[in-house]
Amino acid sequence: MHTYQLSRLQGALQVRQGGTVCQGICGMTINPAGLPFFCPGYVKIFPIMANAFISVEDVHFQHPVRGGESTRALNGINLQIEEGEYLAIVGANGSGKTTLGRHLNALLMPGQGRVLVNGKDTRDPQNHPAIRSTVGMVFQSPEDQIVAAVLEEDIAFGPENMGLPPAEIRARVEEALTITGMQEHRERPPHLLSAGQMQRAALAGVLAMHPRCVIMDETTAMLDPGGRAMVKQLIHRLHDEGLTVIVITHFMREAVEADRVVVLKEGTVAFDGPPRDIFIHPADLYSMNLDLPIAARLAQSLRPIFPELPADILTPEALFRALPSYMGALLPDSLPRPSHARNDCADIIKVEDLEHVYLSDTPLAHSALTGASLCVGEGSSHGLIGSTGSGKSTLLQHLNGLLIPQQGRVRVGAFDLNDAATDLKAVRRYAGLVFQNPEYQIFEQYVGDEIAYAPRLMGEKETLRETVRSAMTSVGLDFETFKDRFTFALSGGERRKVAMASILAMNPAILLLDEPTAGLDPRSRRGVLEHLNGMQTGSKTLVVSSHHMEDIAELAENVTALANGRDQLNGSAASVFHQVEKINALGLEAPLVSQAAAVLRSRNWPLRPDILRPAELTKNLSQIVEGSHA
Amino acid sequence: MHNFEFLRMVNIGQYLPLQSVLHRLDPRARILIYFCIIAAATFTSSPLGLAIALAVTFIGFWFGRIPLRFALRGLLPPLPFLLILAFLQIFLTPHPDEATILYSLGPMKIYLAGLISAGLLLLRFAVLILGLGLASYTLSTSEMIHGLESLFSPLARLGIPTHDLVMVVQVTIRFIPFLAQAAERIAKAQASRGADWGTHKGGLLARTRQVIPLVLPLFLTSLRRAETMALAMDARGYAAITRRTSLMVMHFTWKDALAILLGIAAGVTILWVG
Repeated sequence: MHTYQLSRLQGALQVRQGGTVCQGICGMTINPAGLPFFCPGYVKIFPIMANAFISVEDVHFQHPVRGGESTRALNGINLQIEEGEYLAIVGANGSGKTTLGRHLNALLMPGQGRVLVNGKDTRDPQNHPAIRSTVGMVFQSPEDQIVAAVLEEDIAFGPENMGLPPAEIRARVEEALTITGMQEHRERPPHLLSAGQMQRAALAGVLAMHPRCVIMDETTAMLDPGGRAMVKQLIHRLHDEGLTVIVITHFMREAVEADRVVVLKEGTVAFDGPPRDIFIHPADLYSMNLDLPIAARLAQSLRPIFPELPADILTPEALFRALPSYMGALLPDSLPRPSHARNDCADIIKVEDLEHVYLSDTPLAHSALTGASLCVGEGSSHGLIGSTGSGKSTLLQHLNGLLIPQQGRVRVGAFDLNDAATDLKAVRRYAGLVFQNPEYQIFEQYVGDEIAYAPRLMGEKETLRETVRSAMTSVGLDFETFKDRFTFALSGGERRKVAMASILAMNPAILLLDEPTAGLDPRSRRGVLEHLNGMQTGSKTLVVSSHHMEDIAELAENVTALANGRDQLNGSAASVFHQVEKINALGLEAPLVSQAAAVLRSRNWPLRPDILRPAELTKNLSQIVEGSHA
Repeated sequence: MHNFEFLRMVNIGQYLPLQSVLHRLDPRARILIYFCIIAAATFTSSPLGLAIALAVTFIGFWFGRIPLRFALRGLLPPLPFLLILAFLQIFLTPHPDEATILYSLGPMKIYLAGLISAGLLLLRFAVLILGLGLASYTLSTSEMIHGLESLFSPLARLGIPTHDLVMVVQVTIRFIPFLAQAAERIAKAQASRGADWGTHKGGLLARTRQVIPLVLPLFLTSLRRAETMALAMDARGYAAITRRTSLMVMHFTWKDALAILLGIAAGVTILWVG
């Protein structure tokens, strides 16, 4: 890392001194048109600044804070981005990556230093129209970027702002709809689109401006595996067509798809280079609250068994390619059959053939559930998987009486929800539901009051303080530190924990969680998962829905996969994820370990059928290796 | 059981993308027609005029292929308020001294004039709500915005920022379904923590009280959202140049002229019979 920072410094010096030094050092030549040619194989390029497509020069920026000291977000960033690059900007929450992204299309102006886009300075308002039609930006929450009430009208918003003639706008709207595959939704109101569709719509709105560069600011954080794959495919296609793509993310598995990775730490560039170089010092990554991509982590733990695995495995594809075939003797007798047997349902939750239609009797009616069944054993943990719109949230809301069955039966504990006389408030206390987005849940000013809300309503007085304390402790929030904090000043991970604690304060027998880790950075995500795992060893029954199959593999004993409002796969987590093909067919993505196990099985490894976690895979593999040596 | 479907209550601002004769008219023609009918229904003083206005609105639903049940549901949410207003109207209508008392209960006396004016009030509001509903089901926001913009364009020459005003209308309309959805999510989150939402209990006071904790998160999320939306608009070059163009090209044909004439005729008839 030291040598690296030195070269960074030299780079900055070279840039300041102008083109000649740089030319000498990296062997760059200038063609008559003034465009730089790069020496092949040389990674770090410091071209002459006026020629870089986007040039960030010693940029400092502070976020103003009302009545307080402003927080420093960027601390002297230098960056040259060439046309046609595929660049990933990574960093933990608060590292300044979004702030940097917003400097690149003049949404923020540097406090010190300058940003040039195509040679135009972002500080000059005269340049803004040109800069913003050159560099387009897609934001994290898809619903907030859609301006118009009809989709195609929204896509036309950018070109309309550019003052293009109607025929040209029409052509561009059609083109953007085709690229993103949204033609059939052109007349739908945006609030009725799914998150994945909305994100594609937002991208279409940017593409219609014919930008030369697209910045994607954590655009996949809220999407399901199908949506993520779709966006990834789109990015690759745009890049292949010559567009400059800048992806801002905290997921390493997305960063390694890029040609170049820039890691930010506390507002400075901590690394700049091709993805394979970043993982030479994993320890540095951990110190920045980042993580190796899971494929690299799995490769690492498999290397003692397969020493021939190359050192630079970053993507699942590379890992699968490198996995060896089994050469030992086949012992078909010892192969256990996959067990589909489930925990015998001493069921605390029983759902049969549940159907639900939203906005029934209106032209906007749509079915969310079309005959879903679910059975959850007492004290077990159950995972719900399914793509967006498969009915997970609707099903969860039936389990605590927010929704009443229209068709079919629901029983939760001793409560029969088909019975109109059932006390719904008691059901909600018995089965606590933590929603996906904590924004909508938190309404008190102080953390302590927020968590005390439910027990207070239930009439608790003397024991209130103790209840709040134990609820906070069980999610890992220190009572004394956090009880008087303002709720609006919490970080994303902390908000999630407060929302969870506010449900736990009711001491529910069943805990229902809707996407508990969506949108969190790797460290907060690990924190939430650890606490859930801890809780599970207690006596609570857990029902968790998630887009992240890795989370489910870590948390759940049993899994139900939903598609089109119906349960498609049921059984123990191992037996469900064992069916890698079927999971993929549902638009989901089996956990990497299950996928790797499937690849190994196809290469004749006699693996057990119930492998779910990396440790189980390595243990089973080493048993086989030892066995064949013996 | 539709306890939490707040979106269900908002059918004003809900465009129905159908392919009807009405939907195919020039948006400016539609705006003018709706304006004529709604204005006439507001100012007419005769029951016959209102009846004609109601009939015209139903003809509009038929031409626009709007499902009648859906349209009529728009009357339900404001109904309690209308009934209260009508009730007050019965007693507050001035009447000549020699008017016949239909019914009396202590100091409260019901006169024929009071009943008539209460009935008129109900009818008038029903026509207005249905008329506005018709306008919103058949005019997409973009059509309304571009239509208004074109109709107001003479004002821009006087230096009035019609462009920005129209944009304000557009974003406001975009936010209506959002507010309903956000309120629904917040109410659900609070209900899961023991608030009284959706348990079909509680009097008027209790119901008013439960709205208060709804307001703060609703404000906060809306503000945050407005901020992001402003940023997204900036990023897409809004206000970068003064002359925006438009995706929609409006063609005014003889059909539109005919429709406007019919609309004006309906408006005049409604006023004239009164």
